[in-house]
Amino acid sequence: MKIGLEIHLQLPTTSKLFCSCPTSASEPNEAICPTCLGFPGSRPRLNRKALEMGLMIAKRLRCQVPEITWFSRKTYFYPDLPKNFQITQYESPIGYNGEFLFDGKSIRILRVHLEEDPGKIKRVGKPGEEVSLIDYNRSGIPLVEIVTAPDLSTPREARDFTSALLTELRHLVGISDKDEQTVRVDANISIAEERVEVKNILGLRNLEKALEFEFIRQSKMLKAGKKISRETRRYDEERKVTLPAREKEFEEDYGYILEPDLGVYNAKEIAESIAIPETPLMRVERLSREYGIGLAEAKKIVFTSYAFADLFEDISSKFPTNKVPMWILDQLAANWSALEKRMTEDLRTSLLKTIGSILSGSISESEGRKMLVSIIKGEEFVGTSQEIDTRELNELICSILNEHPEIVSDYKTNKRAANFVIGQVMKALKGRCSSDEVARLVKNELERRICR
Amino acid sequence: MIDGLSVEYLIHLNEKYRIFSQLINEEEFLRIKGRCHFHFSAKDNLCTTDFQSRAGSRILDGYKPPFDATAVRKLRESGGLLIGKTNMDEFGFGTFCTNSAYGVPRNPFDTERSCGGSSGGAAAAVALLDGHVALAVSTGGSISCPASFCGVIGMTPTYGRVSRHGLIDYSNSLDKIGLMCRSASDVRKYLPIISGIDPLDPTSCAQPPLDLSSSEIRKICIPREAMQGISDEVEVAFRKAIEVIEDGLNIVVEEVNMPSLRFALPAYYVLATSEASTNLARYSGMRFGIVKEDVSTHFNTFFSEVRSVFFGKEAKRRILLGTYCRRIGFRDRYYLKALSVRQIVKEEYLRVFQDFDLVVMPTMPFIAPRFSDIQKMKPLDMYKADFLTVPPNLVGLPHISLPCGYYHGMPIGFQLVAPHWEENRLLHFAERWESVFQYQFPEVKL
Repeated sequence: MKIGLEIHLQLPTTSKLFCSCPTSASEPNEAICPTCLGFPGSRPRLNRKALEMGLMIAKRLRCQVPEITWFSRKTYFYPDLPKNFQITQYESPIGYNGEFLFDGKSIRILRVHLEEDPGKIKRVGKPGEEVSLIDYNRSGIPLVEIVTAPDLSTPREARDFTSALLTELRHLVGISDKDEQTVRVDANISIAEERVEVKNILGLRNLEKALEFEFIRQSKMLKAGKKISRETRRYDEERKVTLPAREKEFEEDYGYILEPDLGVYNAKEIAESIAIPETPLMRVERLSREYGIGLAEAKKIVFTSYAFADLFEDISSKFPTNKVPMWILDQLAANWSALEKRMTEDLRTSLLKTIGSILSGSISESEGRKMLVSIIKGEEFVGTSQEIDTRELNELICSILNEHPEIVSDYKTNKRAANFVIGQVMKALKGRCSSDEVARLVKNELERRICR
Repeated sequence: MIDGLSVEYLIHLNEKYRIFSQLINEEEFLRIKGRCHFHFSAKDNLCTTDFQSRAGSRILDGYKPPFDATAVRKLRESGGLLIGKTNMDEFGFGTFCTNSAYGVPRNPFDTERSCGGSSGGAAAAVALLDGHVALAVSTGGSISCPASFCGVIGMTPTYGRVSRHGLIDYSNSLDKIGLMCRSASDVRKYLPIISGIDPLDPTSCAQPPLDLSSSEIRKICIPREAMQGISDEVEVAFRKAIEVIEDGLNIVVEEVNMPSLRFALPAYYVLATSEASTNLARYSGMRFGIVKEDVSTHFNTFFSEVRSVFFGKEAKRRILLGTYCRRIGFRDRYYLKALSVRQIVKEEYLRVFQDFDLVVMPTMPFIAPRFSDIQKMKPLDMYKADFLTVPPNLVGLPHISLPCGYYHGMPIGFQLVAPHWEENRLLHFAERWESVFQYQFPEVKL
């Protein structure tokens, strides 16, 4: 099964693609002007921010960016399209020949281009007496279209890919959280020779469902010895089936010409001047590379939260160990959302110190575990230092041995005599240090006294 | 200049010559007259808040735009009184101003003859009203042609020099707003007002500042190709004018070959109609102009009905032609080919401008034709009449049409073309030309 996607996303600009109307409005036909209504004599002027966002996306998807780019007119008649042509990009997409690495697989990106949204049609009234109302608030909203090669092989993968892509773009240009529901996808599916296009699928869940339905439908047809014809279908959300779309609606001769009101833009020059912020998947790759951890581990860290990844990087850069034990990360990751809510500088410091103690071996793993849990639970450790330095420990040990000289002579014949001292030290410190460390120091001191 | 003008006079004038599709009303005229220094008109395809803006088409009947075109606004702000909207070929589609839905203007020198198109009303207004300045628009020669037929000056600036914001588009990559007036000094006065960068029209934003300081004209050339197919009376007048340029102005005139000019006309019609067919798609009876009340039909039927009834014949012809040129399979052969021809023509001009300051040729191949003769012409004959005005328009070069002679009282014009942004050369030439040639304007008998 081969799946290729055409994903349409709204770019989060404050004004529309070709005019200064706001991109949000509460009442129908509130955010409109002569330009986005296509009034005679009005003309488009490009929102530079939208172009920059588009180029950012193209760069992130490792696309080639052309030297120059321009816009085209795509002509078709539809009531929600004010000018009866849409300004889009045809010959000169802002990005082409890219790829998106996702779960260790590379999905080729054929093109990335910008275009304006038409208006929105709403059908109202009793059946038989319905009328169409048109809201032009959406007219001129900036969209980016991302077209993939047919590199996806299951409905689930198509969904996960789109979801990962959305997460990336959310961090990159600030595409809103709502997009999971509002992302519009056209999907091309082929399980035999001919491909079928399902247009206008809304949301990730519907995408997966529509693809699953198509897979089953096409498989059944093949089993029944029928041929799959090349066609355009649409997904019916209510009935959860795909249906043939009326051919006429999707006639493909759009008679593209250059948009003469807009100029030519130096895409490459602009793209080169834009720095790309690090996105989640970019960070996953970097963490894995820099700290020598697996991609899956890195992904778990980054996708738990950026703040968690920050903490991880803090730990990994402060302590001379390149492997933070997974149990620490698991423990923190599992409780991170609660922990993040009450995060303070002090809490962060004590977390770092505790983990540091574990890593340096100054406390035992089991003690470290206990301490982490109590920090996570918000118990007494908050804000206090957990480390007792070696000099203090030695002084304590010496004073106990001075009080109990018999232990030194016992120790000559019975090494277990040390346990009494260890017990006393631990008691005095209320378990606030590693028993291994204490045992080492006690034994050192005893050996020193025997030899004397 | 405004003092001698009255609305009553304008109405009388319009009854005879049909220059205007709409005129200012008496009340408004009296209200603002005192505050204005000059009067001007705007071609009907320029948006104006106080007049309907219909571009000569029935499909825009009733349309009053919510904004002024930038050029109109600038003239108003400089103390201009907008006295009316001038008649034009529907959407600029025509050479004789006979495709107008709101009246066919009559030539001020002979009312049986055409004013030329598509800015026919504008040219006639200037020929008839002393001190008048008309805002006109050229796509393929719509300023030069009527200027030549009506014996006035038609100034078409470089593409992008004047903001097209508020211009009802014919072909966006070709449309240019310009001026029609009676003297070079008026061009000097009004061109700087309407020129300049306008954020509302991105194509105006790349222009260098307009500099009208003096510019020496030493050498001018005539493309040989331009002299083929010119009527005798035009050729005689033109040759005579060239002699005056050489002897009276001491400018060297030479003939050159510009073979690509022959391809400009077909390339122009392909590009202009391709763009026009997309521009006109918005006229569907839904939001402005003609708004159809009965909404019970499917949108395809709804749109088709409005468009079949309210578009004129020439508009339909150009929509079909343009749509055809854009279609899959034809696009490469026509639309894309025309784009490359445009580039070749541009390069040829640039080459010629290395040796010459200006290119000169007659404006129109014949004097203003009679309406009875126009009726006999086929569309292709009409299109061919533009072969001299189309080349500079195709590549966005500034050009000016000036009266250069008279034949039995009918004016004959010649057209000078300058390199991009060099309007000063045209103006300078016009000023010198006026020192050796006397323009004639018709006597108005109402």
